[in-house]
Amino acid sequence: MPNLPVLVIGGGPAGLEAARGVADLGYKAVLVEKESVLGGRPILESYAALTPDMRNTEEAMNEMIGRISNNEAVDIRTGATVTAVEGEAPNFKVTLQNGSGAETLDVSSVIVSTGFQHFDPGRETQMYGYYEFDDVITLTDAEKMLKAGKFVRPSTGEAPKRVAFIQCVGSRDRQIGNKWCSKVCCGIASKQASEIRHFVPDAKLFIFYIDLRAYGFWEDELYWKAQEENKVNYIRGIVTEINKRGESVVVKGEDTTMGRPMEIPMDMVILSVGMEPSEGTKDMSKLFNLPLESHGYIATTGGALNTVETTVPGVFIAGAAGGPADLEDSVSMAGAAASRACAFIRKSEMAVA
Amino acid sequence: MSHASNGAPTVITPPKVAERIFKRQGNPEKEDYREQLFELEAKGELEVIRVPEPYVEVETKFGRKKKIPLEHTWHHKSCGQCGHIPGYPTSIFWLHRQFGFDYFDPKDQTSCTAWNYYASSTSNPPAQASIAVRNFSQAHVDGYFPFIHCGTSYGHYKETRDQIIHFPKLREQVRRIMDRLNMPFAFPEEIVHYSEWLHVMRDRIAERKVLDLSNVTVSVHPACHYHKLIPEDAIYNDDIYNGQRTSVVTGIAQALGAKVADYSNWHDCCGFGFSHILVNRDFSRSFAAIRKIERMKEEANPDLVLAHDTGCLTTLDKSQFATRAHNRKVGIPVMSDVQFAALAMGAHPYKVCQLHWHGVDNKPLLEKMGIDHEKAWAEFEEQAEKIKSGETQFMTWEEADA
Ligand SMILES: Cc1cc2nc3c(=O)[nH]c(=O)nc-3n(C[C@H](O)[C@H](O)[C@H](O)COP(=O)(O)OP(=O)(O)OC[C@H]3O[C@@H](n4cnc5c(N)ncnc54)[C@H](O)[C@@H]3O)c2cc1C
Ligand code: SF4
Repeated sequence: MPNLPVLVIGGGPAGLEAARGVADLGYKAVLVEKESVLGGRPILESYAALTPDMRNTEEAMNEMIGRISNNEAVDIRTGATVTAVEGEAPNFKVTLQNGSGAETLDVSSVIVSTGFQHFDPGRETQMYGYYEFDDVITLTDAEKMLKAGKFVRPSTGEAPKRVAFIQCVGSRDRQIGNKWCSKVCCGIASKQASEIRHFVPDAKLFIFYIDLRAYGFWEDELYWKAQEENKVNYIRGIVTEINKRGESVVVKGEDTTMGRPMEIPMDMVILSVGMEPSEGTKDMSKLFNLPLESHGYIATTGGALNTVETTVPGVFIAGAAGGPADLEDSVSMAGAAASRACAFIRKSEMAVA
Repeated sequence: MSHASNGAPTVITPPKVAERIFKRQGNPEKEDYREQLFELEAKGELEVIRVPEPYVEVETKFGRKKKIPLEHTWHHKSCGQCGHIPGYPTSIFWLHRQFGFDYFDPKDQTSCTAWNYYASSTSNPPAQASIAVRNFSQAHVDGYFPFIHCGTSYGHYKETRDQIIHFPKLREQVRRIMDRLNMPFAFPEEIVHYSEWLHVMRDRIAERKVLDLSNVTVSVHPACHYHKLIPEDAIYNDDIYNGQRTSVVTGIAQALGAKVADYSNWHDCCGFGFSHILVNRDFSRSFAAIRKIERMKEEANPDLVLAHDTGCLTTLDKSQFATRAHNRKVGIPVMSDVQFAALAMGAHPYKVCQLHWHGVDNKPLLEKMGIDHEKAWAEFEEQAEKIKSGETQFMTWEEADA
């Protein structure tokens, strides 16, 4: 029985950690990433610093990439994806497609780590004016500016005086069908507001939220810091619409603490867009016949007690392909998926022997 | 942090609106009421009135295709329009006639009674639903497709559709009433508002316009009943507000070459407020004048407000009359999209569009549109005189066009 490699699909934080885990456990991995670079959303969307420890994203991701790129046990295929699969574990035959053609590979098991995509803020909620006003941007647009080291108002190129974040855009919204909390956006908004404070010290900063979800250490490391050290105003009350008045973008909604409607002119609005399963995640679920859980992410079999195993033997998932996840979740899941995949191969080796 | 070679931070600005590409992603988790109606039909519970050919398919908020019939329509009129703004339904008919479309103007339609229900919750679901179904069934019997003039009826009938689909007991009650009336239980495949027809006709109307409207600025007030109540039925176009707001009204104004000016209270109610106009009239009046009209004046300074619902039109127009007494900065003429379209195609401002019923002085606007209102008024008076003297009983379409 040849020791066939584990196929890891998706080279984001989860895929990178899964490939490393497999290699560290003494098995081989093939890491397939459809983009030309590794690093997933944090690199593709140019995140500035990572929560909660504010590490430089590029540096942190390069460290993860470094651990596998000089590792003989990991075969990295960028600009490629999986287009067909035959057979079953531990003898899958998969077709990889890249720019120059197709190739067939024999693999023993699979870790799907194809991640998430950001909610498109123009879709059903449709009252936030992302496609109407230059000064309405998303968290990822803001990350790019923060990374570049200058935070300006898109319409004028000048420092904004008033900036608002709108939480839960595309998340926790039964009306549009996204009935989940995206877990990270409260933290990211708090982080970004704190960073903006450094670039524009005299700006007024607001975060409009339903309820603020900064679980675990994020409460102390992000939320209280933003509030106490960086003077970010948290206003409970979800915004219903954004419109334009003169040069300002006007945020309208209800202040639910004060119990009254509000209408506040801003220079800039940042939409805290949530997570949805990525196209790659949906494609791989079809290809490998993996059932989706009720929200559209790939389902696992054991709920809280088994976060990585799918109904197809030998196929595991890691990271945001399985549901909204921060880096800690994604990387921890990847470690679990790597160990389960290796255990799976080992058991099949023993069964043959 | 990245820096340019001279040490200064690189300035990155997010993509400008023109570079942001919006793609509709399809239906959220929502039931498809057409499928449900067809299922009920298959079970023999009701008859679905098909949208007649020729129809145009347009995209709704969530990307489904809605069929808008061009002709063979049964005109469900509005009590408010006919009472307060008679030039409104007349303009709808006038346009149909200009295109030679087959339509039916029923004499036995009842009011939808939605005002009654919004204001006082009198009546009850079976009575409300039966009124809707009776009107629809009459259209079906007459061989036409129901075509709703009023935004209130349109919104209310969509709510009724939900109830009819979801409550078997209600269907049973309506069925008993329909049986006693000896009529079928019919329900249309789509509930269509006249402004949707106007929207799909906009290019054809624009081709036949006789006025230059390029120096006319309009601000649009969309009806809550149209785009907020059961929002999945409302029409959206990717090239109007980038697909972010409903495209009816704005679409026709743009097609006719008028300038559409935006203002920050676009989404706000006109002040009518479902029930406020009936139970809290002062609130309605001040909301209409201060929140809507004054804002438009300050921010957009339009020559005209275009609306597409009876309640909105009446509230926006007549409230200005009341608030003028308090020296407020009001005074913008209000009319419906269809009156504007008819004027653009050469309809008579008084004989067809009946602008003399409107509360705000619209003469400066008519001058800007290139309409000789003095001559038009003299023509209208001449007609009125004939009726007064008993020479004729009413004005015919031929006389209206003369
Ligand atoms: C604005 C924003 C900021 C964030 N900042 C932080 C933060 O500071 N700290 C934090 O803990 N979390 C943060 N997160 C969450 C973080 O981005 C995710 O936890 C993490 O990216 C999930 O990693 P992943 O590998 O599962 O998925 P992804 O990062 O989505 O990576 C998936 C990879 O799979 C690839 N792929 C997809 N389909 C295919 C396919 N068919 N074939 C091959 N490859 C494919 C993709 O190209 C991508 O490279 C942030 C999220 C948002 C929305
Ligand atoms: S993390 Fe915060 S902003 Fe994001 S969905 Fe949850 S509650 Fe909303």
